[in-house]
Amino acid sequence: MKPRRLEATDLARIAVFTAIVAVLGLPGGLSVFGSVPITAQTLGVMLAGAVLGPWRGALSMVVLLILVAIGLPLLSGGRGGLGVFVGPSAGYLLGWVVGAFVIGLIVHGGPRLTRWRTILGVLVGGIVVIYAFGIPIQSLVTRLPLGPTALQSLVFLPGDLLKAAIAAAITMTLARAYPRAFRRQEAGSQIPVTASAQVTSDGERPAESIR
Amino acid sequence: MNSISLDQVGVRLGETTALEGISLNLGARRIAIIGENGSGKSTLARVIGGLVAPSSGSLRVHGVDPVRQKRELRRLVAFVFSNPDAQIIMPTVGEDVAFSLRSEKLSRPEEEARVSGALAAFGLSELAGRSAHELSGGQKQLLALCGAFVRRPDLVIADEPTALLDTRNSRTVADHLFLGGDHQLVLVTHDPRLALRCDTAVLVGSGRIHAVGDPVEVLATYERSLAC
Amino acid sequence: MLSLYRPGHGLLHRLPTGRKALLLMLVVLGLSFLPSTYWAAGLAWVVAVLGYLLGGLGLSELWRQLIAVRWLIGITLLAQLIFMPLEAAAANSSRVVAAILLAGLLVLTTRLTDLLAAVERGLAPLARLGIDPERMALLLAVTITTVPVLARLGAGVREAQRARGARGGLATFVVPFLVVSLKHADELGEALSARGVQ
Repeated sequence: MKPRRLEATDLARIAVFTAIVAVLGLPGGLSVFGSVPITAQTLGVMLAGAVLGPWRGALSMVVLLILVAIGLPLLSGGRGGLGVFVGPSAGYLLGWVVGAFVIGLIVHGGPRLTRWRTILGVLVGGIVVIYAFGIPIQSLVTRLPLGPTALQSLVFLPGDLLKAAIAAAITMTLARAYPRAFRRQEAGSQIPVTASAQVTSDGERPAESIR
Repeated sequence: MNSISLDQVGVRLGETTALEGISLNLGARRIAIIGENGSGKSTLARVIGGLVAPSSGSLRVHGVDPVRQKRELRRLVAFVFSNPDAQIIMPTVGEDVAFSLRSEKLSRPEEEARVSGALAAFGLSELAGRSAHELSGGQKQLLALCGAFVRRPDLVIADEPTALLDTRNSRTVADHLFLGGDHQLVLVTHDPRLALRCDTAVLVGSGRIHAVGDPVEVLATYERSLAC
Repeated sequence: MLSLYRPGHGLLHRLPTGRKALLLMLVVLGLSFLPSTYWAAGLAWVVAVLGYLLGGLGLSELWRQLIAVRWLIGITLLAQLIFMPLEAAAANSSRVVAAILLAGLLVLTTRLTDLLAAVERGLAPLARLGIDPERMALLLAVTITTVPVLARLGAGVREAQRARGARGGLATFVVPFLVVSLKHADELGEALSARGVQ
């Protein structure tokens, strides 16, 4: 189901999710633990994969990284530029792309959205995959051996677990509050039947993928 | 040719029936579509503009079939929505107006001339290089109009274009819609003053046409239906 | 537009974008081969300082960039000091920081529009993979437009919550923020279709 050509609806959703991840990195009291700069950005990565699915989720992360590389300060703390791609966290950023893909693959893998598949998706894609890319590259960049580097990154694990729990809960809430978000592009419908046609409609169109 | 005709058009969005059995022949230059929230008036405008495909029936818009001839329809029709933020696509004012001309494949100087002409008509010339997000709400809606009009459309479909604007900006936007060219106008509106400026009004309720004709009479019908 | 670009007329400002990116990447790559010794640490700093001076940005900009990555420096240095001998810790941290500072020179000295144009040129080969480079470029532009809009929507959500006296928890912010963002996505998608994006 790889989208060969991005339709207007896809394009808008991908752009919006990229922007969501950027906004979640803005200052404004989103730190989970007091003053430690743990940001909500990985929460955005998890949500992008869970809502958009594998290809579009990964693409939204690619777009984010391209914009960061050309200097938009979209990473937490207003970071941006090529510098972040040669620093210790470069691997984690790469992991966002693959992580969003894996989350999408797992969460959208079944006929319908279930709580357990969502939790599994955000844990595997949002933590295991991102760390699997992040830790070795960090070790390579800082020349700190793999073991100590992994140990060091454990500091972030509680925060990431918390974010995974929140991401899973939000995904399930969103599936009820805004089921349209999860609907895949109906195959064969040539005109993208965009949603605000019935902004004030009383009945939501039911999602095929969510029951 | 400059008419819109619908024959037994119905639209189902999932389980909901948004429009049912709509037959209309609209030749007037300025057409108001009125009705309550959720009545189907926005859907009607979107069917005419080819954004929503009818699930039954057929229609012709200026001689074009919106379902089969999408490209021709896009050349013909321009849309204006209420929320200017969602209509601005490119980062800067000038780029956004130029975006509307992409499909026309003009030469660089031709495109620049069209863009600067349109910007001047909407009083936006000085803002051409500015980021769209630095504009005020009123300026953004003028930019959205500018992006619609730069293509010199035969038909402008506006869905509550003044809903988020103050009185002064509403008037400016309405003046552009009514006087800014010789296009046909389909205006979805809650504002009786705007409906009265039109030549014909269509009253939509629960997905059906309740009245068509002189705006004064149609508005009176609408008022009566609210009274009971 | 929100960008990290610093206007100027230094040597780097005048270099064409592609060549500048290549040059900076080569320097950064060169740094990564330095051994973990004190003289290598010194050399890394010298190269970084030279880069900022030659780039016409000066030491005040270098200091600003250092402040921007202070957390990263802190965490890296701390881990190195715990697990590595002092010399290696100093060298590794210096090398990492110098690489970040030098790579950062690209966006500090190049206009966003030039970088965007370079990226679009770079995307052209994607056509062979069945990805439309023009569509990709459009996606990048639409995203640049969307970020400030969503930042404002996010601020609005936070304000509304404060007005109702709600405490700023992460989940209580994110759900309404996502809903307004997705509504925006729907409207944006419709506007794109209306303006001829098939």
